[in-house]
Amino acid sequence: MKQPESKQQSTPLVRIRGLRFRRGSRWIFDGLDVDIPLGRVTAIMGPSGTGKTTLLKLIGGQLRPDEGTIEVDGENVHALSTPELYRLRMRMGMLFQSGALLTDISVFENVAFPLREHTRLTESMLRKLVLLKLEAVGLRGARDLMPSELSGGMARRVALARAIALDPMMIMYDEPFTGQDPISMGVLVQLIRRLNDAARITSIVVSHDVAETLEIADQVYVISNGKVVESGSPAQLQESGGEWTRQFIQGLPDGPVPFHYPGPGLQEDLLEKSL
Amino acid sequence: MTGLLAQLGSWGIETLTRLGRAHLLLLPMMRGFLDILRRPRLLLDQLFSVGVLTILIISVAGLFVGMVLGLQGFYILSRFGGETALGLMVAASLVRELGPVLTALLFAGRAGSALTAEIGLMKATEQLSGLEMMAVNPEHRVLAPRFFAGFISVPLLAAIFSMLGVLGGWMVGGGMLSVDQGAFWNGMQNGIDFHDDIINGVIKSVVFGFVCTWIAIFQGYDCVPTSEGVSRATTRTVVHSSLAVLGLDFVLTALMFS
Repeated sequence: MKQPESKQQSTPLVRIRGLRFRRGSRWIFDGLDVDIPLGRVTAIMGPSGTGKTTLLKLIGGQLRPDEGTIEVDGENVHALSTPELYRLRMRMGMLFQSGALLTDISVFENVAFPLREHTRLTESMLRKLVLLKLEAVGLRGARDLMPSELSGGMARRVALARAIALDPMMIMYDEPFTGQDPISMGVLVQLIRRLNDAARITSIVVSHDVAETLEIADQVYVISNGKVVESGSPAQLQESGGEWTRQFIQGLPDGPVPFHYPGPGLQEDLLEKSL
Repeated sequence: MTGLLAQLGSWGIETLTRLGRAHLLLLPMMRGFLDILRRPRLLLDQLFSVGVLTILIISVAGLFVGMVLGLQGFYILSRFGGETALGLMVAASLVRELGPVLTALLFAGRAGSALTAEIGLMKATEQLSGLEMMAVNPEHRVLAPRFFAGFISVPLLAAIFSMLGVLGGWMVGGGMLSVDQGAFWNGMQNGIDFHDDIINGVIKSVVFGFVCTWIAIFQGYDCVPTSEGVSRATTRTVVHSSLAVLGLDFVLTALMFS
């Protein structure tokens, strides 16, 4: 049964508490707390290397945190057995940065893949479903193409059609706008918003493309140094007085994130070399 | 000195860790056999790309190796007036040693490297992660069919290698060098023992098939997902497989024929 609008907006579908995760000796997340509300578009933003993609992999159970919990739809992802985790993943979709299409099968077969794996639909029903999914992303006519024949933007749209094939409760978008021309970017921005509004799919968009992300997000988390630096609506962030957020949103070359990589002073370095 | 010891220790730990990961991968691949039983098409597709596409290089190599064996064998045996034993010599060399060993080496070079590159690229392009997020186990769906295809293919390819090798030896011995054809085939039939020679040869090729495919798949699955990482993994597949085959051949020969 559908929940009332107010309840949907206040209930977090994903609840992250005290998340700590490290690679080698470097802490990627050091006490991260994030709530992803049901049925809304939540953006996770931050500069490259802050662990945005890692966060999606942690939510999807592909990586295990060192400390803390991640609950998706009330289930602690990292306490689930493998079959339970796979059952949960069937209710999640993920759009990878590269599209991650299977390169040896056609566009049609790529979208049909999760349906063939997890359902026992008849071939004619499966065909109709796949064509409807492709229609939703505007690529029904490209069903017979191979992934190598698609442009980057088309590949991502096919991947999106595949991600929604099983009608998931949420979709995670990993840098959906990176490397796209303005038209493809516009199409993807619209698609993400439309899917969210039409199918009430909870969306998590990880990106550092500020303008596009703020255009579609209902809520934004800005992360840096393993913690949430600021969160709020796009309007709140744009008016933020925080130095760090201002540098990121306005794309300023110097600020809390310094232009120069830490090192000895220039004079000191030059003198040392001339000795 | 301390630095050298530390490096050696680090290398040892890294090697043992990789070996451990390789063994841990075997279990899910074996479990993937159940998926193959439900969908044999997955295995058939891989049997084609791993096995059938390797037949040409195996056939050509087998024929030429047999022809060279025929020539070399004839020149040595004729010194003692033993040309009639040429058939036995060619067949025994092929069935016991050259068939399984050379097939495995060629398989590692052609199909093994291709398997590593394919799986490595699937990892680099996030296809394996994509499968996981679609709730499809890549170890069952991608790795297991390739593993069993390699495991099944190598003994069959070794049989083709040996058969064409014998044919090559006969073409040279019986055709070019006028060895008595009756003696050629008769010596082979009387001298080759089904258990000692053929079965032991088959056991060798089964072991080599298992090891070569396992190494190829593990290297691809465990590679650093970059172009350099895939390239290094492909090289490692050929080197490790070749060394493993040669080492295991000695051990198996010692066990079987001592």
